[in-house]
Amino acid sequence: MIEVQHLTKQYGAFTAVEDVSFTVERGEILGFLGPNGAGKTTTMRMVTGYMPPSRGRAIVAGYDIFEQPIEAKKRIGYLPETPPLYPDMTVRDYLTFVAKIRGVPRAERRSRVDTMMARTHVADMAGRHCGKLSKGYRQRVGLAQALLHDPDVLVLDEPTAGLDPKQIIETRQLIRELAGNHSVILSTHILPEVSQTCQRVVIINHGHVVAVDTPANLTARLRGSETIYVLVDGGGADVASALTAVPGVTSVAVTGTDAGALACEVASHTGHDVRRDLAAAIVGAGWGLLEMRPMRMSLEDIFLHLTTEDSAEQPQIPEEHAVHG
Amino acid sequence: MGNVIAIAQKELKGYFASPIAYVVIGFFALMFGYFYYALLVFFQQQSMQAGGFGGPEALDVNQQLIRPVFLNASVIVLFVLPMVTMRTYAEEKRSGTIELLLTAPLTDVQIILGKFFGAMALYAAMLAVTVVHVAVLFLFGNPEWRPVVTGYLGLLLMGGCFVATGLLISSLTKNQIVAGMVTFAVFLMLWVINWVASFQGPTAQAVLNYLSVTEHLDDFTRGILDTKHLVYYLSFITFGLYLTVRAVDTERWKG
Ligand SMILES: Nc1ncnc2c1ncn2[C@@H]1O[C@H](COP(=O)(O)OP(=O)(O)OP(=O)(O)O)[C@@H](O)[C@H]1O
Ligand SMILES: [Mg+2]
Repeated sequence: MIEVQHLTKQYGAFTAVEDVSFTVERGEILGFLGPNGAGKTTTMRMVTGYMPPSRGRAIVAGYDIFEQPIEAKKRIGYLPETPPLYPDMTVRDYLTFVAKIRGVPRAERRSRVDTMMARTHVADMAGRHCGKLSKGYRQRVGLAQALLHDPDVLVLDEPTAGLDPKQIIETRQLIRELAGNHSVILSTHILPEVSQTCQRVVIINHGHVVAVDTPANLTARLRGSETIYVLVDGGGADVASALTAVPGVTSVAVTGTDAGALACEVASHTGHDVRRDLAAAIVGAGWGLLEMRPMRMSLEDIFLHLTTEDSAEQPQIPEEHAVHG
Repeated sequence: MGNVIAIAQKELKGYFASPIAYVVIGFFALMFGYFYYALLVFFQQQSMQAGGFGGPEALDVNQQLIRPVFLNASVIVLFVLPMVTMRTYAEEKRSGTIELLLTAPLTDVQIILGKFFGAMALYAAMLAVTVVHVAVLFLFGNPEWRPVVTGYLGLLLMGGCFVATGLLISSLTKNQIVAGMVTFAVFLMLWVINWVASFQGPTAQAVLNYLSVTEHLDDFTRGILDTKHLVYYLSFITFGLYLTVRAVDTERWKG
């Protein structure tokens, strides 16, 4: 449905996006994740044909957005970062205008506008001027505008920005429903949003794609080092140093106590399974091993990991808890 | 075509939803009314003096009254049209709605023509207000209708040149005040460019006179429909709109 090949955008001498490639299949929701200024909006603007790329190309629903812009644009619904509303128009007039220019046949316009106002919960504001809407309503009208012509491809730049929690949930639900026969690209800084709505994630930083994968695979792949959670009973303060002494362990963090037992997070090098040795050390010392399980990194960690300047091989354990070995 | 009309309607509604349309039409009607009155009083006086036997009919209403009224109207147009065109592109760029237009299945030409006709419709509404004044002359005198019709046509075409220029300038900036000021300066240049003509050699004089947008209006107000002027106005408008298309495309590359 969407094929992005080696997109590059230069603003003068500054390269905002460099060599970005990814594809989105029919019915798939792709999350576009990156910190401020990463180049998410810039990429989306090139995909939607708002501006031409400096290099590379984007093919939407089989049409090159640059070679056959009209055909491609007919199949795209786009919610820009700032919802493009005319302040002097009422919500209904605005949506009717968009339906016109997006090529919705005259006979269907009214019903499409009504349907979309209902789906995005703006029907009660139909007669209000767009300029007098609250931020959240503006965002919803922007979403309605993108959906009017039932496009194959939806490009949503931060669709949940400015919405209240209830609306965020409803909007995500709506996006998931739409994904059935549409392909969706959505950008966000909110990580839970990605794992909740997207099948795949593109992580972008400083204009470069850092990773493309499913949220689950990313989590697995990024376990540059593994962390194991253990709950030890009866060891007291000696536990940390005893565990640090186990071969292969890089650090031990005491994260708390659970009914007298000590909860520790033990980090080790990848490919070096230390569980057997850990168990032996604990049991050998005469302590009780109440629990042991591998910990998965949250997407939050991955995000920070991928996008902090010195993305070192191992994730950082918070300093205050760490005992280095 | 449907798209052009959709944009033109949107533009026109936009003018009337904001105070602009009312301010512009009000200002135009006021200034026009004032000039009309002044010229009418002057005309009356003159015809009284010239009258003697023939009475007021001795002077030519078309030549002595309607023509100066049209020429004065062209000066008012010069002041008002920048207010109409300054926001066309600048405002869309500032508010981000340009992103809607440029990602909709529309061509740049459709968008620009839509904006052009939208502004022209407002301008036509402005001129329509003055029809009342002119109609009064038909009630009380018997002017020829031909110079009146060609006069209006000339005003429309001249306004078209200004609107095309204004669109071009508005497409180059995000700031509508800047767009307005620059447009006004350019209009003024187009109007007075031949004032220095009489100090130049014959060739330069001809060229400067040809360039002056208002110079071409003169024949229209006399009731003369000369293809020379039609060609000038229409090519001016086409060229202005063409440059706007180029400008919008260049802006798009810049991002
Ligand atoms: N018109 C422009 N001219 C020059 N530089 C620009 C322009 N638009 C964006 N940039 C730069 O390009 C980079 C990427 O910007 P972009 O808006 O794509 O980031 P983003 O990922 O959408 O960020 P955010 O999460 O804040 O929306 C930024 O450094 C920005 O300053
Ligand atoms: Mg952005």
